[in-house]
Amino acid sequence: MSRLSIQALTKCYAGAAAVANIDLDVAEGEFVSLLGPSGCGKTTTLRCVAGLETPTSGKVLFGDRDVTRVPPERRRIGMVFQNYALFPHMTIRENIGFGLEMRGVRGSEANKRISSVLDMVQLTGFEDRWPRQLSGGQQQRVALARALIVEPAVLLLDEPLANLDAKLRDEMRFFIRALQQRIGITTLYVTHDQAESMALSDRIVVMFAGRIHQTGTPQHIYDRPATKQVAKFIGQANLIAGKVVHRCNEVATVDTSVGRLLCATNCAVEPGTPATAMVRPEAMQLVKECSPNAFPGRIMERHFLGNIVDYRVATADGTVLAIQALGSIVHDAGEVVSVQIDPKKAWLLE
Amino acid sequence: MTEASEIRVRHWLLAAPALSLIGLFLLIPYINIGIMSFRTPSTTAPYGPGYTVANYVHILSDSLYLSLLAETLLFATVTTAVCLLMAFPVAFHLARTTSRWRGLLYAGVLSPLLTGVVIRCFGWIVLLANNGLVNQALGTVGLGPFQLMYNATGVTIALVHVFLPFMILPLMTAIQSIDPHWEEAARTLGAPRTRVFQRIVLPLILPGLQSGVILVFVLAASAYVIPMLLGGGRVQTLPTVIFQQLMGGLLWPFGAALALTLSFAVLASIWAFVFLGRKRMRGLA
Repeated sequence: MSRLSIQALTKCYAGAAAVANIDLDVAEGEFVSLLGPSGCGKTTTLRCVAGLETPTSGKVLFGDRDVTRVPPERRRIGMVFQNYALFPHMTIRENIGFGLEMRGVRGSEANKRISSVLDMVQLTGFEDRWPRQLSGGQQQRVALARALIVEPAVLLLDEPLANLDAKLRDEMRFFIRALQQRIGITTLYVTHDQAESMALSDRIVVMFAGRIHQTGTPQHIYDRPATKQVAKFIGQANLIAGKVVHRCNEVATVDTSVGRLLCATNCAVEPGTPATAMVRPEAMQLVKECSPNAFPGRIMERHFLGNIVDYRVATADGTVLAIQALGSIVHDAGEVVSVQIDPKKAWLLE
Repeated sequence: MTEASEIRVRHWLLAAPALSLIGLFLLIPYINIGIMSFRTPSTTAPYGPGYTVANYVHILSDSLYLSLLAETLLFATVTTAVCLLMAFPVAFHLARTTSRWRGLLYAGVLSPLLTGVVIRCFGWIVLLANNGLVNQALGTVGLGPFQLMYNATGVTIALVHVFLPFMILPLMTAIQSIDPHWEEAARTLGAPRTRVFQRIVLPLILPGLQSGVILVFVLAASAYVIPMLLGGGRVQTLPTVIFQQLMGGLLWPFGAALALTLSFAVLASIWAFVFLGRKRMRGLA
């Protein structure tokens, strides 16, 4: 187990940077997700850590060991691929034992360790099956066992749940997290699914176009996104454009098309600068009367989803906001309401 | 009729055209040759009266024919080995390349099949003759001339050229079926490139390799035109000798026996090859 550091990592393909100057530290035993849309460079970053790609510049360190020029077979990593990449011509036992075989571990010692990881992924008794005889979820667990048996310094997972159906994906999510916690292995996880990364990670790294936009805990990234792209990619976000009129410590007053809003901020914005207020759908409440930090609107659409109700509310200037309320209080479409925003949950973006 | 037997009948009906073709043009001639090989020779008819095993006794007791058989199989083996070595990099590149020249490369691989074998042989004669292009080019740097034709070298070169596509194509298909992630997974699990090749790539392309080897081996062992033209009468293989027996000597029964001996030897070689590879191919259904 070791700390993972990525320093000023850049990877260019045919002159275009797939990953541009990335810095990231993953602490020992930490679970970090690289999250972003396809083509954002998250997989390239992971492959550079694995040694399957050679960085154009920058460094990859495991602990204090610079592995930038070390081939993958000598990095002591465990990697799980999106399509599991189980060897089709080997039984489950041989697949899992492959890493041991490469390290010269044979016989009863190998068998003991194979049994123990199979037990860990709850697949005891599957030793002599072939990969094609297993379901997707089972193959996934074999891939995990195969990666973990060699006791790698770092565990790398590349969209491991993308090929599973929704129900199994949820199960495997808990399974992976519990397993990672139990072993305490340093883990780097690539996904484009924000829910997956939130549920699994200690920290999330949000990437767009080869750059890191934000690194932080799931809660922090959700509540305090660093950029508009992050705000839109993680969950749902209402972005209301406006201009800062006043700032006092961490509260800014913003004039927007829907009215004057109070927003939380952590940057020293000058009055007069254009800015965007980000409000999550559940941070807005529908109230009957006018109240502070509220503005009038008319309900355009209403979708009852059981636990919550999804509203589309049009404000006076025509801006349509997405609002979520708990399922008990129901307003009707066409109803004129007042939208109240919790100033602590409104967030100012540049 | 039960449902199962009805399905069976339908399967047979589907196979019927192919089966009748094979029966008509392969099985019956083979039986004919088989019978012929046990006939006695005649100078006035294709064969004389009565049956005999003398033809086979003659072949198996005459070191001339046994060494011819050995030489023919050696030609086929060397051709197959050279084809395999040359085909592998090409097949690998073709299977994995994303280049826009891929189509052109593919056409290049198929090109030996686009002209008749006689034309191709004459092409090689122009290149390999004592005053041919290759020797002329070598001559300008003070080398040679080398004897590249009318010997085993010339015949092997032409055999390799003509049969290379039959090795490249099945190999390419086999390599295409290998997910590059399998190789990468093996690397991350501690396997250096050589071990990845040995434990992942090689076992997975074995079926393709096997069909390529069988195709080239059979074709090279039964080649007639190439040894004939590039050997110029100085290289003898069983097919050329069989032709002489049939057309020159009019010894049809003996020629038939030679032909069947060659077929049997080739079949036995292939069987041995498949048998040796069988254990390594398990789980590759």
